[in-house]
Parts: sequence; C-alpha cells; structure tokens
Amino acid sequence: MSFQPFETVQKGQQIYLDNNATTPVAALLVPHLENWVAEWGNASSIHQSGRGPKTLIREARNHLADLLGCHPLEIVFTAGGSEANNLAIKGVYEQLAVSGELENKSRFICSQVEHPSVMKTMDYLKDKGVDVVTVPVSREGVLDLEFLEDALKQAPTALVSVMIANNETGSVFPIEKVIELSHKYGALVHSDMVQALGKIPFSLKNLNVDFASFSSHKFYSLKGCGILFSRKGNQLVSLIHGGAQERSRRAGTENTLAIAAFGEMARQKDRIPFEQQRIRELRDGLEKKMKESISGVEVTGAGVERLPGSMSVLIPGVDGETLLMNLDMKGFSVSTGAACSSGSPEPSPVLLAMGLSRDEAQSSLRLGLGWSTRAEDVDRFLQQLIVTVERLRSFNDEASEVSKESV
Amino acid sequence: MSEVENPKKERVLVAMSGGVDSSVAAALLVEQGYDVVGITMQVWDYTKNECEITEGHGTCCSSTDVDDARAVADRLDIPFYVMNCEAKFQQAVIDDFVNTYMQGKTPIPCVNCNTYLKFDHLIRKMKELDCDWLATGHYAKVVESKTGRLAIQTSTDDWKDQTYFLFTLNPEVIPKLLFPVGGMKKAEVRKIAEEKNLIVARKKDSTGICFIGKSGYSNFIEQQVGRENLLPGKLRLYPGGDVMAEHTGIHNFTYGQRKGLGVSYSEPLYVLKIDPETNDVWLGEEKYLYSQSARLHTMNWLDDVEDGETLRVKIRFAHQGAEARVKKTPEGVDLEFLEPQRAITPGQAAVMYRSQQLVGGGWIL
Repeated sequence: MSFQPFETVQKGQQIYLDNNATTPVAALLVPHLENWVAEWGNASSIHQSGRGPKTLIREARNHLADLLGCHPLEIVFTAGGSEANNLAIKGVYEQLAVSGELENKSRFICSQVEHPSVMKTMDYLKDKGVDVVTVPVSREGVLDLEFLEDALKQAPTALVSVMIANNETGSVFPIEKVIELSHKYGALVHSDMVQALGKIPFSLKNLNVDFASFSSHKFYSLKGCGILFSRKGNQLVSLIHGGAQERSRRAGTENTLAIAAFGEMARQKDRIPFEQQRIRELRDGLEKKMKESISGVEVTGAGVERLPGSMSVLIPGVDGETLLMNLDMKGFSVSTGAACSSGSPEPSPVLLAMGLSRDEAQSSLRLGLGWSTRAEDVDRFLQQLIVTVERLRSFNDEASEVSKESV
Repeated sequence: MSEVENPKKERVLVAMSGGVDSSVAAALLVEQGYDVVGITMQVWDYTKNECEITEGHGTCCSSTDVDDARAVADRLDIPFYVMNCEAKFQQAVIDDFVNTYMQGKTPIPCVNCNTYLKFDHLIRKMKELDCDWLATGHYAKVVESKTGRLAIQTSTDDWKDQTYFLFTLNPEVIPKLLFPVGGMKKAEVRKIAEEKNLIVARKKDSTGICFIGKSGYSNFIEQQVGRENLLPGKLRLYPGGDVMAEHTGIHNFTYGQRKGLGVSYSEPLYVLKIDPETNDVWLGEEKYLYSQSARLHTMNWLDDVEDGETLRVKIRFAHQGAEARVKKTPEGVDLEFLEPQRAITPGQAAVMYRSQQLVGGGWIL
C-alpha cells in the first residue's frame, strides 16, 4: 500500500528530528478540533450536553482498541504516559497491600533504562520498603535476561516492568521472553510501550502482557492523554479517587478533546507498516553516511533490533549540548537525551546505565525520525551536521595546541 | 575617546540572567539588527535553600530567573538556551568563596564568576555557536583608548557601575564584548523594559551575593564546610589582647563589622583582624580601621601602568575610589593612599582607574 506524505502542523521552518520526545500534531486532526471543542459537556452528565462527549470518547476508545488489539474496556484513559506508568506500578502495589499479599510478593523488577516515570515510581516503592531490583542493559542494548531470571527465582515477584523499546537508543527489548519468564515465576508484567506506538505494528492480542502504557502526544496527537491497558481480570487500585469514570479505575472528568484526537489518529493504523519501512530506510541511510563522513561515529545500542527512526550517536570530540544548539540555530531540532523540564541537560542516565562514560554520554546526540520526516530533510541535516562537527572539532585542536604550548 | 560603533547584522551571544539589565541588553541588540542568541548559565540551584516548594529530589527543576530569561527570549523571538554550569560554578566560585572565608578574609565571588564563567566559558560558547560578539547586561563601556586599543570604561550610571567586577578580564577578549546598557542610567533601562513590555521590567535589582539566601553567610558557610569543621575562638580587644568573649567560628565575622559582635564596651567596637591560625578575632575602636597602605597580589592589567603612577583605586564595590601611588612588587603591587582609607579588607579586590578607564587590579592581602 502506498501513502501520501504525512502532513503535520508546522511551527516555523524548523525541521523536527526529535520524535521520541514528542511528535508534531497531525494536520488531519485540525479540521476536527472545532467540532470536538463544541462537545464541551461533561460526559457524565445526564442532560443532553453529555451525550456528544460520551459518544466521542466511546468511538475513540473503539478505534484505539482496534489499534492496540485489545477490548475497549481494557483501556483506561489517563492524563499521559507517565500517569499510566504510575498507575500500573502503584496500582499493583496498592492492590497487594490492600489484599495483604505484599508479604508474599515483595519484589518489583524493572530494567535500568526505564523512563523516569517508571524509575522514580520504583524508587518511591523502594522508600516504602519494597525490594526493587533493576536489570542491567549492555552497551549494545541487550537486556540481561539471565539476570532477570535469577532475580525472579530469588524472591516471589509481584511485577516486572520492562519497556518495549528504549526512548533514547530505540533498542527493542525481547518483551515476549520477559513475559514468558515472568509469568513462569508468577509475576505480572507491565510494559511501557509509549515509544512503540506508530513505530512498529503490534497487537496486545498476541502479546501476553498484563499492563501496557501509551501516550497520545507520541503519536501525532494532542498532549494530555495516555492509556493504561489493563488486561481483563486484573486488579488495580486507582491513583485518583473520585468519580466512577473509566470504570472506577481513574476518576476525573475526561479530556474529551485529547481523547477524541487520539482516537482519530488510531484510524491511521494501516499507515504504520509503511512508515516503519520508509523511516527505517531513511535512518539506516543516515547512519551509514554519518559513519562515512564523520570520523569516530558510533551508534549506541546498535547490537539489537531498534525502533525504525531512533538513533543515539556518539560523536567523539564534540559536546552534544553545543552541537544541539548549533543545529537548532540552523533549523534542526534534535536532542542530547530525554527532554528535561529545566532545559538544562545533565548526561543521559540511560546512556550512563548502558555503560557509556560521562564524556561519551555528553558527546551523544539523539535523533528520532518520524512520519513527517522527508528524505530531503535528512540530507540537509547530514550536510549541516558534517560542517558543524568539523567546526566544533577545530576548536578542540586549537585548545590542545594552546595547552601544548603552555606545557 | 569615542564609543565603538557596533557593526550590524552579526551574530551576538547575550548572557541573560533573567534580570532587567540583560533582558534590555538583548532587546536593544535585537532592535539594532543583530542576530541575537540568548543563553543562561544555570549556576546554582537556588531552590536548595530558598524555595518553600520542595520539588522531590529536584535535579531537573528550573529557577524562576531562568524562566524569566526564557520568557523574555520568547517575547523577542530569539533562540535561547540554558547551560548547566553548576559544577564549574561550585569549583570556581563557591569553593573559593568558602576557602577565602575560612582564611579569615572577605571574598568577592562575583569577580570569579565573571573571570571563569561569563568571560571564559561564555567566550568559548560564543565561538562554538558561531557568534561574533558576546554581550552582557553589565554597566560598563567598551571604548577606544588613546593608544588605539579597546579599553573598559566606567558606565554612564556611576551608581550602578560594574567595572569593579571586570578587572580580571583577558584584554584579548575586550574587542569581542558588547555592553548595550553601559551607556545608560538604570532608570532608562527600566523604562525601555516597560516600553518593550518585558515581564522583568519591575523586577527587583539583585543585591548582595546571588547564592547567599535569606539564612545569611554564616549558615551558608556552615552548610558548605560542615559545622564540625568550624572551630570556636576568642574575641580579643586591640591593642591589649584582653579576651572579651568566646565565638563559635571566624566565619561569623568580617572586617569592619560592628553589629552582632555580642560584646559591650564603652566605645563602639569593630572587627579589625581575623586570625585563621589562632581563630582569634580582634576588636577595636574605629580609628584603628584606618590605614594608608595595602598590599596586592595576583594582578591583572588591562593597560600599561608606570611604576609610581598615581591612580584612582576602589577597594570595594561600594567604595568611591581614592588616589593611591602604585608601586610594583614581585607579588603584585603596594598601594600608598594619599588619604587614610577605612577598612581595607583582605580578600576584596583593589581595582584601578585612570580617569574613567579601567586599567587593572589585584587582590588585597
């Protein structure tokens, strides 16, 4: 199947190559926005203004269930991916605490390269006395499954949380094996699948995961909506107490606009395999040319299958932050690691956990190509990258000559 | 001397602190047609001691000042970046500040911040970001001196003049600097901020040392070095040496201090000398604070100075300046003031001017 180029809402002339942080909003959503805003009623209202939003949410839920390969009622709408991750982990913990099973299942496991919303939630449980174990990932991006199995054997485990793919390197983890192992030892499995949506086709029907998190703004939709997939029969204590929305799993009046937009994007399901292949070719071509034209370039986590558009490249002798600023001023949005709320980056904890040194992590650039990325964007980016790296490296030569002189 | 004309359409990196001066500096540069890039150095996590909102383990929270700088950049529609310089600031500014205090001296950290962060780190960033100029919101001017060299001159606003903090500049850097508000008075700067609708227009001037919170110097030093490393000592009366009281650490005192000494005497007493070896703090009458000479070390010169030349010297930021003869020594300079000066304080800088021109300075021993 062939598709027209994907149009997004453009801000300025910037070429956006940071699709793992967020994605631009799909142009196809824009004509709907006014109609959706008009449905400002409370979906829980009995009078007529509640009917429209309720229907929008229901339709969106159906489209999304179709996209994910699950039952509509297995979808819990949240305010985003971070909340979904929190809900899965704390929800399971609270459930065990309430039912008195915590003593029998006191261990929680996650990988060392999870998103902060998983990592920090695990830290929170650790502070509460939970036995949290983190599974290492090699520099090549390989998750240590033996370590995982040992950890599962040692102590009865409540939950294993492993992301399907890393948000910085794009490394895809063997989630089927993680699920198989964890279930063998009686543990539930949660997977942060935020980065997978729209990048690789999958179906929750075939994946025996118990919980999975998704986010609308990583899928060309609006900010403010996430999903926790919770398989039928799972017991979960809600984080937000209040009304009976989302079948009492998440209180609070629904974000109709963001949910409707997310649902509309779900109808683009058929486009995913097409983009997967197109973007992979772009990425592979870019990596190849980068290695040919810039000395010392290394792709982190290239030892395993990766998400099609993701790459984390180590460019020795260049400060990633400075490179980012230069590229930004030339019209290219890239990043050095996970987006930081202060905009003042520290070396990426993910890269450090994978065994890169501080210097290496600080010389790394993260790219996320997306549906809106065109071949000519990548070519123009590469040209500017080569020039900029050369220029920045020339300052190092100057500096080392000066220091030689002073010696 | 004439003001240096600013060539247009070149790229300038402007250091934006989130205050009114650097915000207006950026706005003026945009108006003058430069291609302006804003940068903020995140140097200190001000939330650590000040903020009442605790942000968890907060390694990724940004200060209001950074947010203000960003909002101004957004209004001006210029690129804006935040650089994390906390490690460098700790090492070059905080550690030195604490060490100086522990030596019984009174440090002036703003100079090191200029030396090691603004006019070293940022000069490098300027080149790396392909900029032709580095601009700051300092009240200072760059002018052509009689010898044809570029020099630093005091600002139009005498009250705000910040050239005192610039004496350690590398002279090679001066041709790259722009001080857009240096030719203005503070009131004009605020007016421009109002006219341009910058959200910082009414923001209070920062006074004192940026990283010292409401809890004061002593608490800061205690946090940095640990209470257990601060030794008690004696308050002695000069010149006899009678012990007047005990104290809990020399970090509680600065030269010339009168308030909070916790002793009573027939005359008002002042701190005259702090001895880090014995932890003795000497108190005495005001007349003993006056001295006519000072010994300086680690000089930086921005222009040629003849041995024996008489220059105007400021011995602290708020000092009016006084005439002194400059005698060069192997370590630095010996100053001989024409009039006695009050509280020439070790750890402060002595900064020299020929008329309005900054010619250099050194540290008071």
